[in-house]
Amino acid sequence: MEVRYQVIVLGGGPAGLNAAKYAANAGYEVGLIDAGTRLGGQYWRHTGREEFDQSVHHNFDQGSLLMDAVLANPRITVHSETNIWSASIINDEVVLRTNNGAFITQRLILATGAYDRSLPFPGWDIPGVMTPGAAQSLLKGHGVLVGKRIVVAGTGPFLLPVATGLSSHGASVVGLLEASSKYSWAKNLLELLRNPAKALEGIGYLLALRGRKVEMRFRQAIVAAHASADGSLESVTIANLDSEWKIRSTYKLSCDVAAVGWGFTADTAIAYSLGLALDVDASGSISVVVDENQRARQPNAAIAIYAAGELTGIGGADLALVEGAIAGLAIAGSAQDLKTLKKRRKKLLRFAQALTKVYPVASGWKSWLSEDTTICRCEEISYSDINEAREEFDASDARTIKLLTRCGMGLCQGRICGRTIADLMNSTPQERISSASRPILSPITLGEVAQEGLL
Amino acid sequence: MINFTFEGEPISVEPGTSVAAALLSHGERITRLTRFNSTPRSIFCGIGVCFDCLVEVDGEPNQRSCITTVKEGMVVKVQHGS
Repeated sequence: MEVRYQVIVLGGGPAGLNAAKYAANAGYEVGLIDAGTRLGGQYWRHTGREEFDQSVHHNFDQGSLLMDAVLANPRITVHSETNIWSASIINDEVVLRTNNGAFITQRLILATGAYDRSLPFPGWDIPGVMTPGAAQSLLKGHGVLVGKRIVVAGTGPFLLPVATGLSSHGASVVGLLEASSKYSWAKNLLELLRNPAKALEGIGYLLALRGRKVEMRFRQAIVAAHASADGSLESVTIANLDSEWKIRSTYKLSCDVAAVGWGFTADTAIAYSLGLALDVDASGSISVVVDENQRARQPNAAIAIYAAGELTGIGGADLALVEGAIAGLAIAGSAQDLKTLKKRRKKLLRFAQALTKVYPVASGWKSWLSEDTTICRCEEISYSDINEAREEFDASDARTIKLLTRCGMGLCQGRICGRTIADLMNSTPQERISSASRPILSPITLGEVAQEGLL
Repeated sequence: MINFTFEGEPISVEPGTSVAAALLSHGERITRLTRFNSTPRSIFCGIGVCFDCLVEVDGEPNQRSCITTVKEGMVVKVQHGS
């Protein structure tokens, strides 16, 4: 199957939904491709049931209206459960190969979002240790609580809604640990004051948690997880950290789930495949470089590729919505004035930048690793394997480490450990960008390739 | 309700439930044993990125339980190796 659209939008989260809506309203036939079973992305993930519990969401009404508008728009065709395994530019067209055939366009909007950033620590591969996003997606998408006694830990504002959701749905949140300092917002108070809605949202979570006797503990982190006889999580070791995140003292807490996350990593795989200019910030986060209209840089003038949302820098759903609207209008060449949207984007971008300053990941996490700590979960590569490659074979960069140990070569293709390896090897920005390469974007069987007539 | 089996045990869930959600809500933690060390793994990212929650579905290995929707009569097994 081969389908052509005037505009193709990749991703059905806030950015992609708004991009599709605005491009369609400007007169274009839009194909919206999404891997999920229902629209909404991670932010508006929902069960799709009638008796749907909206309390796990911050502003589901807005999402619900937007999803309904997209589904009802005759100019938008939604292709759900569609996974892209190859993205390339052939004869002045973008060709996307998926499990549901090929999609072709000259105008593409990428809104592929982000996933939790994970850091390794002893025992992080034990069943029961997961990302906050996993706990959240099971609650939002299925109404399932991932455990009974849960520790939520890591850094960043996302820990708050996750802990609140778990707690208010009956889990006992026995620990809520923020590795950054209690005073980190004090240095960026101005940005909080400029964004009262965000500040109120955060305070709302803290009050709800306090009502359930959950207090956030600062400068603390899970530095080890321990399994019971059946192999699943039984307890965690929590450390009081110094400002570099080195361990000062520890205590143990029993729990059946540890939800641990360190901010987000943008999903840049398709952007890389299409040759878009990428950038790396001080935290090692890779993003797509865009101009003031959200247009990405790539050499082929016959093709217009835009990007919006987390892909262009981690900034949350409100920013993603604005960027999606700008991208949708701009790709359609709409005459609508973008000034108001751009002003709002500027304000939200400033807030996003403040967030990265308030929740930095300090290098002391490397001191939590022990020799037998798993670094690459897929290929079961331990920290000692990495060190051996470094010391015995003089490997001094991430690529050589990968070739020697196979770390990052497993099924996830380095999506989980790639950034960690880059951090451990002090990779240069250029090395980090080239590590975003995933020639096969999602697993596909040879049978499916043959069906496409490509073998 | 949709009925399927996990390691031979019957489980019933609401339509639209993922295999991962179905297993977790029935207290089943372990989805696979790793290739080299045979260590147990489970749901980690929950959104199809990490490939840790792999299970065997109707004889097909390497299915991500977090993004696979349960279907009537499905036979799901712990995945051994990869």
